[in-house]
Amino acid sequence: MTVSIGAKFENSFERWFERHLRVLMLAPAMLVLLALTIFPSIYMIIAAATRISPNPDLPWQFAGADNFLRLLTDEQFHVGLWNTLVFTVFAVGTEFLFGLGLALLLDRYIRRLNFLKTILMLPMMLPPVAVAITWKLIYEPQFGVLNEIMFRLGLPLQAWAGDVRLAMFSVIVADVWQWTPFMFLLMLAGLASLPDEPYEAAAIDGASAWRQFWDLTLPFLKPVIAIALLLRIMDALRLFDLVFILTGGGPADRTKTLSLYIYQVAYRFADPSYAAAISLFVLFTTVAFSTWFIKRMRLAD
Amino acid sequence: MVRRFLFSVVFALSSLMATHAWADITVLVPSGSEGDGLRAAAADYAKLKGTKVEIVQAPYSNVFEQAANAGQTKSGAFDIVLMDDPWIPFFAENGHLEDLTPYFKKAGLEGPDSDFLSKSLAVCRNPYNKGPYVCLPYVGNAQMFFYDAAKFKEAGVEAPKTWDDVLKAAKALSEKGGGRYFGYVFRGGQGNPVVADFMPIFWSYGADMFNADRTKVTIDTPEGAAAMKTFMALRDVSPKGVESYNANEVGQALAAGTAASSINWPNWVATFEDPSQSKMVGKISYSPIPAGTKPGSSEIGHWTMGIMAAAKNKQEAFDFMLWATSPEQMKISAQRGNPPVRKSIFTDPSLTGQEKFRHYPVLMQAIEASTPRPRHPKWPEIENAFGIELSKAVAGTETPEEALKRSQAAVEEITGIK
Repeated sequence: MTVSIGAKFENSFERWFERHLRVLMLAPAMLVLLALTIFPSIYMIIAAATRISPNPDLPWQFAGADNFLRLLTDEQFHVGLWNTLVFTVFAVGTEFLFGLGLALLLDRYIRRLNFLKTILMLPMMLPPVAVAITWKLIYEPQFGVLNEIMFRLGLPLQAWAGDVRLAMFSVIVADVWQWTPFMFLLMLAGLASLPDEPYEAAAIDGASAWRQFWDLTLPFLKPVIAIALLLRIMDALRLFDLVFILTGGGPADRTKTLSLYIYQVAYRFADPSYAAAISLFVLFTTVAFSTWFIKRMRLAD
Repeated sequence: MVRRFLFSVVFALSSLMATHAWADITVLVPSGSEGDGLRAAAADYAKLKGTKVEIVQAPYSNVFEQAANAGQTKSGAFDIVLMDDPWIPFFAENGHLEDLTPYFKKAGLEGPDSDFLSKSLAVCRNPYNKGPYVCLPYVGNAQMFFYDAAKFKEAGVEAPKTWDDVLKAAKALSEKGGGRYFGYVFRGGQGNPVVADFMPIFWSYGADMFNADRTKVTIDTPEGAAAMKTFMALRDVSPKGVESYNANEVGQALAAGTAASSINWPNWVATFEDPSQSKMVGKISYSPIPAGTKPGSSEIGHWTMGIMAAAKNKQEAFDFMLWATSPEQMKISAQRGNPPVRKSIFTDPSLTGQEKFRHYPVLMQAIEASTPRPRHPKWPEIENAFGIELSKAVAGTETPEEALKRSQAAVEEITGIK
């Protein structure tokens, strides 16, 4: 009797287990997602719609759309938005052109010069904080290596990251140095996967190298280019570490990015509600842009 | 099987208890000499009293962020926070700090003893110099004026007493330096750095951010304009790139002998007098902040210890603070490189007789003539806004007049004082 009850229980448990296996397998991942993404997102939406005082004894006040309306008149937010856009366009654009150019140049030789690939990849492997500190030392106006070279060449010394005209350029150069290898690697992988036949046919038809690049290479590379650009643009829109260390957002607010501003509002000014509103703005703009971009590039196909 | 599992859990928990932080008190401190000094004191205290003091060290701005977060969420993560004095109004007025009055009473004291410098004690009361004590001063920082006396003499200024003297010498030295040597250098980095180096000049010309009863913002005034004029003249004789300088760059310029003068914090004395880090050992002179149209005034930058309102062991925290700020411990702290806040240590002959403490009389004078940064709970936001406008003036993207006007408007907006 005992045995048959035991067996029955075991059977029904097994059946239940079989039926819910899929849910059970997903459960740990779902729990992590819930704790680290869904809960904070909901919390952020609630925070953005309230006014949270730094005084823990004061209750949260419902603020409706106040925090979002503040975005319209907040000059520092506008400065951050503009700087982020300028940085994204110029940094990602340059990285793409350099990455593609290098890949096209080295495509034929790279298989023989494998160590070159490793060297080119080095900047990408460094933590962004280390890159920022290194460039801070390079740009240092009095003791930095860049001004030493300028001095030896008889060129006028520059303040680089400390000069309003050059600060954003200096940040872009450091970012290009670090992330061009990423573009280069993706483009190289894309080039390696191109079929030979269309090129052979084009050569027989007498198409020039430029024509081959424009009509064959670029269309073939389109999915790779689109993914590379999308990843880098999303990353560039969140730029924080490089400007935090290199310039602190200065001089004269010229390198203050949205992420840096969000950090200041949340932690320096202890205003998590407004920081949540700006973060939501950034989140929705990034999602909207990515959706449009994916559709435009027909990546979903 | 179950027994084995339970045994493993108990074993893991007990080893965690033995090794991890079941500290009696947890103290949040900044990186650098101030935090290192308190860490060493905590180790001494643990040996002496058997109380385990855990020190959590973080970079300067992270200390504020972590303490504000702990206060805002009542987490009780820290019992004591070593705070920069301009943060006190934020923490005190938002209920993050414990009023120390009952703890003094319980210890049979009326308050801190009279050996503490009065200006050091004033910052620990909220409202300033009037309210109850919410902290105890630990590191006696106040800005001093550092200069290369030989170079200044060469430029025809024996000992700079006023900003005009500084300008005269600095101009001559920068002109002679040919772009490789400068008469003055300052922290022009946006935010805290540029504000910290402007405030003493601002005060030297009789200007201040608010009027006495804090009912009016008073940045855009004739006194403010006079201070700004001197600040811009000093910028013109400073190295290219000061727009991004912080204390490190300024200190290094003096230590390397590429600049002749600057305002800076006293902990740089150790670097200037260390042959492994400085080319200027024994050559840098120290003085209080030069005068403008009014006597010069340093910015006070004390590190103070306060008990968090949500702390778990408040009494033990208070006992530790009282011990760490006692005359005996403060002398040890001074020997570890942190300036004291007690008269008896500043005038202790066994210290002042040593070369590395020769700046003590000047520093004590600077503290006694110091001014705190405007005491307002929204100081971090005010400093940021003022710092942006000053940075624009230094970089030349707006005129000094515009910078004052826009600073006035920004501070009015933040504080709601019109």
